[in-house]
Formats: sequence, C-alpha cells, structure tokens
Amino acid sequence: MSLLKIENLAKSYGSVVALKRANFEVRAGEIHALLGANGAGKSTLVKILTGVITKDTGTISLNGQEVTFTSPDDARKNGVAPVFQDPALIPDLSLARNLKLTSTDEKKFLSALDNMGVKVDLGTLVSNIELPILRMIDLARALAHDPELLILDEITAALPIDFAEKVIAIMREHQQKGKSVIFISHRLAEIEKICDRATVLRDGFDVDTFDTDEGSEERIVASMLGTNTSRVGTRASGGVHSGGPVLLEVENLASGRHLKDVSFKIRQGEVLGVAALEGQGQDLLFEILAGEKKADSGEIKLQGKNLRLSHPADAIAHGISYVPGDRKSALLPQRSIRENLALTRFRGLRQWLRINRANESGSVDNAVASLQIDTRAASQVKRLSGGNQQKVTIGRWVTTGFDLLLCFDPTRGIDVGTKQQIYELMRTFASEGKAVLLFTSELREIQLACDRAIVLYEGKVQTTLPYEKCDEESLLNAVHGIAV
Amino acid sequence: MMKILRLKERAWTIGITILFLILGYWRASQLPRFGSYEIKTILLGVLPIALLAMGQSIIIIGGGINLALGPEAALINCITAKYANGSSFGKTLFIVLLGLLVSILVGAITGWIISTSGIADIVVTLATSFIIIGLSMFILPNPGGGANGDFAHLISGKGNSFLPPLLTFLIPYLFIWLPLYRSRSGIAMFAMGSSQDAAFLSGVDVKRTRIKLYAVGGLFAGLSGVTLTCITLSASAIATISTTATLNSVAAAVLGGIALTGGVGGLLGPALASLVIYFIPVIMLGYGIDPAYSQMIQGALTVLVVMAGGFLRERTKRSA
Repeated sequence: MSLLKIENLAKSYGSVVALKRANFEVRAGEIHALLGANGAGKSTLVKILTGVITKDTGTISLNGQEVTFTSPDDARKNGVAPVFQDPALIPDLSLARNLKLTSTDEKKFLSALDNMGVKVDLGTLVSNIELPILRMIDLARALAHDPELLILDEITAALPIDFAEKVIAIMREHQQKGKSVIFISHRLAEIEKICDRATVLRDGFDVDTFDTDEGSEERIVASMLGTNTSRVGTRASGGVHSGGPVLLEVENLASGRHLKDVSFKIRQGEVLGVAALEGQGQDLLFEILAGEKKADSGEIKLQGKNLRLSHPADAIAHGISYVPGDRKSALLPQRSIRENLALTRFRGLRQWLRINRANESGSVDNAVASLQIDTRAASQVKRLSGGNQQKVTIGRWVTTGFDLLLCFDPTRGIDVGTKQQIYELMRTFASEGKAVLLFTSELREIQLACDRAIVLYEGKVQTTLPYEKCDEESLLNAVHGIAV
Repeated sequence: MMKILRLKERAWTIGITILFLILGYWRASQLPRFGSYEIKTILLGVLPIALLAMGQSIIIIGGGINLALGPEAALINCITAKYANGSSFGKTLFIVLLGLLVSILVGAITGWIISTSGIADIVVTLATSFIIIGLSMFILPNPGGGANGDFAHLISGKGNSFLPPLLTFLIPYLFIWLPLYRSRSGIAMFAMGSSQDAAFLSGVDVKRTRIKLYAVGGLFAGLSGVTLTCITLSASAIATISTTATLNSVAAAVLGGIALTGGVGGLLGPALASLVIYFIPVIMLGYGIDPAYSQMIQGALTVLVVMAGGFLRERTKRSA
C-alpha cells in the first residue's frame, strides 16, 4: 500500500527547469532513499513535498487522497515532517519558545530527545547550541508530531558517528511503527545498509527505482551518471603536465564548520582540479585563498614563504587572482568591456591625472583577442552572454598578470563552445608556467582541463587523483566518500 | 554556566538601568527639591517618547522599522484633541478608543503594504509618513484642541501624584507586551525578525505576522498620541513628536538593546533608554550648556552604544 504517490511532478524557476517529470512512490512502513547528483531535482521535490514551494504541474497523493501543501505548517499538520540539513530553529529564541512556535508537545519532544540520549535545558538559546545537537533536536521536534512520513535531508552529513547511528536506529523504530521515511544522503554506503528501496533522479526525471541490497552502490552510481555516453567536449590541447616547482602549499586549513582540514600543493604549470559535492567547504577554501575570508587555523605558503592574507588586495599583490562563481559579483554590469577588463590594472597606475589610454588599449585589446570575446555589445557588459561575461572576468586578470588563478565553477550555465574555449585558456595559462586551481561542479570537466584533481569530502581532502583516474565514475565515487 | 549565559543576555538591560540611575541621580542633584512633583514632571516629559520607543522596538524586533511612527502618534494626537475638545468624560473616552482603533488600523495597513508590495520597510514607511503628516494637517490645520479635564488627569495626574503617568507606562507593558511576548503570535514576531526563512519553515505565516507586528506598533504610537493630548491638552500636526520623535524612538530602541537586525530584545530597555535620552539635554541645560551640544552628545552616545553592542555580539558569537 503506498503512502505517498507523486506523479509527473514538474517545476521550473523562470527558464530553468528543475523538475521535468518526476514520479516517486513511498510505501507505508519503508525507508526510501532519494538520490541524485547536484541539480537532479532532489531538493526541489522535497521543497514541494513539504510546502516550501508550490508545484507547476503533477499530482501528489497521500494515503490515496490528492493533496497540495501551501506551507510547511500545512504539510506538518498532514503528517509530513521534514528535517533539513540546516535546522529550521530560530537562533534568537530559546528552545521552549521554538517548541511553542511550532505547537510542539513538550513532553513528546523531551521523550524523543531522551530516547536519543541527548540532554538539553529548554531555556537554552538555540544560537548557543552546537550544530550536531541542534540536528538531533530538530529531529526530536519532528518526531514529537508523530508524522506518517518523515523526510530526512542530508541529516547524517557532518554528524559524528554515534549520532549518525542513533539517527539510523530512530529511523528503524519509526519504520516498525508502520510509518515511512524518505532518506536523502550523499553517503552511498549508508543507503544499502538502511534503506529498503531507492529512487534516483537525474535532470528532473526519475530514472530508476529499485530494492536496495548488496551491490546497490554500483547501480546507484550508474543511474546517476546515465547511459548517455555521447559527451560533448574534448580534452583541451597540450598534454598532461606534471608541473614545475611547488607554487602554493596549503597546510591543515580549517574554517567554520564546513572546512575542517585541507592540505594540498599546487605546482607551476599545472591545472589542479577540485571536485566536491555541494557544501564540502570548497567555497570557503577559495574565499580564503583569495583573501576574502580568514581561516580559523592552518597555513598557506607561497613559494615556501608563509602568506598572510587579510584582504583580497593582499592576494592580488602576491599574484593570486580569483574568478568567483557568481559573475555578477565580479563585474561592473553597466560599464564597458574595456573598463571591466582594465579595472584591475588600477594598481599599475603610477601617475595622477589621465590614464594612459594607449597603454591601456594595448593590454585590453590583447586580452580581447586572446580570449576571443565577442565585442558586439562592448558598451555594457550586462548585455553580453553569460559565456562572454565569464571571459571578461577571466580576461581582466590576463591584462594584469597573475601566478595563480582561482576559478570557481567558471563554466556554470554557459554554452558548450565557450566552455571549450575556457578549457583551452586554462591549458594556455598552464603552458605559460602559471598555475590554475579549478573547482567545477561538472565532474567530466576535470579530465577535459586538469592535470590532477583533489576531492573534498566533509571538509577534508578525501583523495588526490592523477589524471588517468579522473574519469567521471571514479570522481563520482570519490566525491561520495567511496574509496577509489 | 547556563546562569552566566542568561546574565550575559540581560547585561544590556542592567547596563542601561545603571546609566539611567546615574543620570537620574545627577538630574535630581541639580534640582533644589526632588519629590513627587519633580518625578511626575520627568515622567510626563518622557511618556510619549517612551511609548513610541516601545512601539518602534516591537517593530524592529520583528525585523521591520517604521519611520511613520512619530507622524502616526501626531495623527492620533490631532484626532483626539480635535474631537474630544470640550467634551464630556464619556465622549472623550469614546474618542480615545476610536483614536487607538485608527492607530491599529494605520499600522495594519502599513504592514499589509510592506508584505504585499515586497518593498523595503524603510521605503514604504518613509512614504506613508508623508501621507500621515498630510492627513494630520488636514484634520487639524491649526494647532489647538483639547480634552475632558477629568479624563486627562487619568493620565497626567492631579496634583503632585506621579502614579497616573507611571501606570500609563506600566499598563501597556504589563497588559499588552507581556501577554504578547508569551503568545504564539509574539514568538512568531521574534522568529520573523531572527530568521525569516527559519520562521517560514517553522510554520509562521509571515504576511499575517507582519501585519500584526505593525498593528501592535501602531497601537503604541496611538497610546503615545493619546498621552500627548492628555498632557498638553492640545495638538499640532507638525509637532516635534511627528518629526524628531521617530528618530529618537529608533535611537532609544537601539540604546535599549534591540538589535537592528531583529529578533532580539525586550521593551524595558528601550523605555529606560528613552529616559536616558530625555535626561541628557535636560542635565546639560541645567549647567547652562548650549542645547546644540546635547544633541551632539546624544548622537555620539548612540553611535558608541551601537558600536559597543556590535563588538559584544561579535564576541559572544565567536565564543559560542
């Protein structure tokens, strides 16, 4: 008997289609895994199911009755209770007031918490509680509502092992009451241990549903990858470089709760790829290297010398340039290509009064030519296509010069042809003896542009892969924490 | 350990209380006599702005800000003073209740506009402030008006007793704020100010909560307007309450420990802070110092307190 049945669910945000036609069924009394790579549509499905957003088309039935949830409160009242990766508790309120806000029974909550072996004073301010405990609290709060369907979104990520085991025990107890759990996790090893069935989403479709048993890992990875092997894109020209002397060395870098202990080296003349699922600390790593944020601990060495970065200007002065993931934050959208390209050259200006236009034109024209920027809309950068905007953000560093280029997901949302040009550009930088650190959310890009790759998992370097092992399957395993 | 943390949370209120006591003692020592009548004078001087600061604080706690709060108090001041002028006790009471109803309504409409338009609070309320000032001028083109004397004495007090003005401050605190603070609606306001996303996920109806928030803030502005009518027995559409009072209410809220980012604070701090703000120019005037200096000192004090508060929060966050 199916508790939840989702049929032909679709949702798009403007021109971006997040869910195309997803079908999903959860039986009463089962633990069902919901899987998919970044952007497969998992979180959209969960948000619709919990009333955070509304669907475009499709039907959701609960116990055979068609339902539409208009708010998280509405979903909770109908027996659907989620626990999100970031606990939905109000930081400035005490626990007791948080419980009252969600009309949670204090006694049931405390007994659920007791069952987990967690003790906490209800008068404590939520902002004073550590994240792992807070997740358990959020789970206890969901359980206090005794939901028919419990949705656990990445709850075990970054959770200590004893807590993770408690969560699993709780899921089993919930199942034994004849109730169901949707379990979302990037830890594939957990899936076959805990779940009865699994559904894999890819590109907004449900591509596979099966009973989990031993060996499910391969099937999961295979269906996340898809059978479509006709991939666009070829390895950029030039061979694989083993690189020259070490340019930058990162040792035991840690910051906040996402970046725990990262060490790696990058050599002159190599493109080092960074592969990771969302939220493994990669954004913090790049921001720290760019001087935007400060690390809590750890060292950065540039050519053997300790480097202290307290401002992006420090990084730039040491030849470290950053191309952020969000193009809009790097560009002056209303200004021309020329001004955008020349912007970072201001530190080269050594005289007052007029800017030497002839000099500026030289380096700007050079950058435009070498990057093949389409200059038809040269007067305002915001009128350029995404790909050309991205080339401008990279191109400004070409006009200034750099030793290490930090590129955070530079090919997101741009067309295949331009992507290829960007890979070529990375290779050109490498052949000129420069170093590039490239994070990309598209794993296949690693082998198209990089010489080596490091894989981040839960804030640490999970593994370092040589070029030969940077195929998509190995990377996909590695980013999920599976040994390659 | 927990007790120390709690104490830290209250440190601000304790700090502002000490500051208030020092300034209060200072002011008292300036006067030849300090008795019931002097206390009453101080309370009457500060009551309208204290109520306004409390209203502003509620709105800021909920993540908003209302720049039309002073004009709203002036509007209620004009309405009550115009229609209650020369009337009986009963009619004045009726007009006052009507005025409070109008203040709730004006607040609710403001909240509704902000929610529906999605435009920032500061922009919407700046615009509504002009509308409300215009409305007040339309209702009462020339300063004047009045109220039933017996009714006015309920708030301003007869003779030397300072009890009526003290009660006028305590009653809204005890019978509006404390029940609200404990209710689910009140928690929802704190939640919305603390994190709108988490509040939404916790089942808070954000739109309805914002309307309630501005309605309660409006009610306090209405109370401020009514007390002004009872104290001065007149009204003016362009009185100080409608111009500088809004900014003073924000200053008192911040001085009183309300985080401008929302979600934190209570109403006792802002009420005491408005006394502090009241004392500074009065004390300086007592020394014969140019009032311009007291303005500057008040501004500097506000900046200092906000900076100190910022550092304090940063440090507690890091150690947490």
